[in-house]
Amino acid sequence: MANLGAPGKTDSDITDELPTFNVENMQNNAKIIYYSRTFMSIIGGVIAGILGFTGLTGFILYFLVMAITSVGLAAKAGFSVHSYFDGWNRIILDGFLGGLLSFVLFWTYPYDVS
Amino acid sequence: MAEDLVLDTAIRDWVLIPLSVVMVLIGILRYFVSKLMRSSNQVPDPKMVKEGQVIIRARNLRAAANYIPAKSFRARRVYFSNEENGLLYVPKGQAQNAQAQMFSDPNMAMDMMKKNLSMIIPQTLTFAWVNFFFSGFVAAKIPFPLTQRFRSMLQNGIDLSTVDVSYVSSRSWYFLNLFGLRGLFSLILGEENATDDTQRMMQMSGFGFDPTKSLGAEKDSLDIFQHEWALPKFEQRAEAVLKKLVS
Repeated sequence: MANLGAPGKTDSDITDELPTFNVENMQNNAKIIYYSRTFMSIIGGVIAGILGFTGLTGFILYFLVMAITSVGLAAKAGFSVHSYFDGWNRIILDGFLGGLLSFVLFWTYPYDVS
Repeated sequence: MAEDLVLDTAIRDWVLIPLSVVMVLIGILRYFVSKLMRSSNQVPDPKMVKEGQVIIRARNLRAAANYIPAKSFRARRVYFSNEENGLLYVPKGQAQNAQAQMFSDPNMAMDMMKKNLSMIIPQTLTFAWVNFFFSGFVAAKIPFPLTQRFRSMLQNGIDLSTVDVSYVSSRSWYFLNLFGLRGLFSLILGEENATDDTQRMMQMSGFGFDPTKSLGAEKDSLDIFQHEWALPKFEQRAEAVLKKLVS
């Protein structure tokens, strides 16, 4: 995964009651989240196809993969989410359903091929 | 009547994979073509750039307004929204003019049309190709069940009505590819050049009205803004921090 650490710090300094955000860094972090999710949804799709999941099981796998991605991103940010993102919502919910279509495509593929 | 059709390997080799490969290649081609075409006539209009920068300045003012004292915020706000020579104030007559000018300006219109066409044509061509060659048989099986209502949409070339809705025609495989490869493109082509047609088209249609209306919008939101001085106790806090550092 891309380097979340170096350009990532978004906070200002002492003012911890007023969070100030460096917009560029926030955008960069958001982009990284997007890429990670897309990639993981593709991989998850291929896995679901190879294992031959159908119907609901596959979607459960999708949500599982998204959850794993969220945990991975949080771990990479050292669990101090507030110094890299707007808040927990950003890292957990953002782009959640965006990877769904790619997931379905790459799920259908191995399912048909094998 | 849930028979379990097994897909012929010939179908797999000659339909599914080539279609995906062709779509990926066309996407990459489109990306490069749009990059080439864009660099040719890239003279940015100075007036538009100036307006864009003014908008950015106003937005920055709104975002950081709580960190400057109330009087200076008000002074800056008047500078922007003053009736006579404020930067954001655009008299009504001139606003309409800019809009009309945008559309009648030959360069701009040609540019937009070229971009639109370069988006639409490959899609149309590919769709026609798919319809011509790959219609009339079951192409793929999607791994999850759908209701009967989707049958007419997904099974367009297939005339049997007893076949499970999970077996789809190649047209739906085309659409599935279309949407699913968007994510892949954004990964391999870097940044948001992810040939996002629908988004791009929405942007294009709203582009002509963008500068003039957004000036008015910025002015209004700046007028509405309530200034809250966020650093009233700043000296005390600075003193506390310094004390902590020193001791």
